Amino acid sequence: MSTLPGGLTLAIPSKGRLEELTRKAFSTARMNIARPGGARSYVGSIKNQPQVTVRFYPAAEIARELILGGVDIGVTGSDLIHEASENGEENVLFVRGLGFGEANVVVAIPDSWIDVQQMTDLADVASDFRSRHGRWLRVATKYVNLTRRHFAKYGIAEYRIVESAGATESAPAAGSADLIVDITSTGSTLAANQLRVLEDGLIMKSEANLIVSRTADWTPLRKAQLEALLSIMGGVPPGISTLL
Amino acid sequence: MKTASERYAALVRLVESRTVTRATPALLLPAGPYFDLAGEEFGRNLLLTTTNNGLEYCLRPDFTLPIAQQYLEDGLIGAPAAFTYLGPIFRQQNSTPVEFEQAGLELLGQADADNALDQVLTFARWALAIYDITAPSVRLGGVGLFEAFLEAAEIPVAWRSRIRHRFGHPEALERLMERLSNPEQKVDAPAPDSRDTVIEIVTDAMLSGGLSLIGSRTPEEIADRYLEKQALESAPIPPETVALLQNYLSVAESTDTAFERISEMCKEAGFDFDEPLYQVRNHAAALAALSPNADVIFDASFSPRLDYYTGIVFEMTGSDGEVLASGGEYDRMLERLGAGEPVKASGCALWVDRLEREAEQ
Repeated sequence: MSTLPGGLTLAIPSKGRLEELTRKAFSTARMNIARPGGARSYVGSIKNQPQVTVRFYPAAEIARELILGGVDIGVTGSDLIHEASENGEENVLFVRGLGFGEANVVVAIPDSWIDVQQMTDLADVASDFRSRHGRWLRVATKYVNLTRRHFAKYGIAEYRIVESAGATESAPAAGSADLIVDITSTGSTLAANQLRVLEDGLIMKSEANLIVSRTADWTPLRKAQLEALLSIMGGVPPGISTLL
Repeated sequence: MKTASERYAALVRLVESRTVTRATPALLLPAGPYFDLAGEEFGRNLLLTTTNNGLEYCLRPDFTLPIAQQYLEDGLIGAPAAFTYLGPIFRQQNSTPVEFEQAGLELLGQADADNALDQVLTFARWALAIYDITAPSVRLGGVGLFEAFLEAAEIPVAWRSRIRHRFGHPEALERLMERLSNPEQKVDAPAPDSRDTVIEIVTDAMLSGGLSLIGSRTPEEIADRYLEKQALESAPIPPETVALLQNYLSVAESTDTAFERISEMCKEAGFDFDEPLYQVRNHAAALAALSPNADVIFDASFSPRLDYYTGIVFEMTGSDGEVLASGGEYDRMLERLGAGEPVKASGCALWVDRLEREAEQ
């Protein structure tokens, strides 16, 4: 943690394909991440980098920790940083994309809504939805902040968010929401559920990023350690720490 | 020189004057009604807390809603009532919780709506005077006036509701204006499909997508809007009407000049708009009489982003441009809360911390 005079905390996704690909990215740079105790352990280390403590967290938690300064460096999706807090991106520095975990956060509607192509159509539908159906238009998503920001940009205020932890794409058919905001990489899940992305429904493009916390306590020693670590990672111009 | 506590005491006296009832709604309120009334955009500013069984509550984010709800619950519809309030409200801004002191007036069910609005303006004026603000900048807007304008300019009904729903949201309205002034040129206009055919196509698509035909948008609703869109595209608003609309929305100047300009542009377009303007003119005159030093402008595109506002709206700003008082007429609010029909309502809210800062300058 940041109270130590030196040393860095690196947060890595704790499971699944994201963990696998992150570890691969580090081992390509000759930094093998050890996780003694396997998948049930939440602390690890990097061989030859004793100053770095590795912590394994769920990806969404990494975003929160980076924003709050609980970890110094982390790997997580850029979408999760934007979602974690309304001004999350101001509290971190995106060092570089890692070329995996690519996905788009999109607005998708039932394909049968043939009168709706763009956000402006959705604004029309939302505006008189309540008088027709006696309730607000419902949007299922786990991206509450991103949805609110995107809808506000298009002047849509007349809707409610239904928070959805998983299987968001099934919400319209299940009757728990009218449309969704969700992440998609190939679009096949959306298509299988007969959902269609609006023409201007792309909220953001996301990929796994190497991210540095701006809110962590950056002493000169720790900045130097960060520069050293980033130079081993490669693909990063020197001097990142001067931006902190 | 008055001290801060003397000013506050004077404000308490104003709020507790004999002709009004000071309301003291609870600090902790069910969050549902706020989401129901104002939607997700206002909801993001609430400070929420959840009970163990999942019910959401919020720290009081304003006084208007609980006061109006109490009025309904007490069965007072139709009876004139005057409520005032003073106390803390809580919101979050950029994920930081903030406590504000707010005061205000709510006039519900008053027989004479024009008189009620003038009382609201007077109340705001007196409150500002306590803080030695005698020359605020005042911005007036006309929600009802805009609706009347859309009708008088003979804008097709379907477009009217599209335009009306974007009123108060400059970006969305500008995008719509752009769309109106550059209508999509359809290369080949397909023969209009029959309503029954479209309904059938939509029904098939919904069923194959596993959607309920009644739970959300119905096939009829989708088909009608689809056909309406086709019709609108083939019959765009004439360019001169779009220009008139843009011209109207660009009006933002001192009241007399503004009303003169609107009256002129309507005459040129071939219709008389003096009757609807008359009421706004009267309130502007009342305001000018109340505070001769105020800088009052009429901004035709100004409206709060809440669709229960109906008539005239206003905001008063201080030397650094911060809003000190805002309010207006919102006859649709009680209807939204379940009154069954619009009920005359007008009121204003005052930002006490900002008034105090202004006084200290």
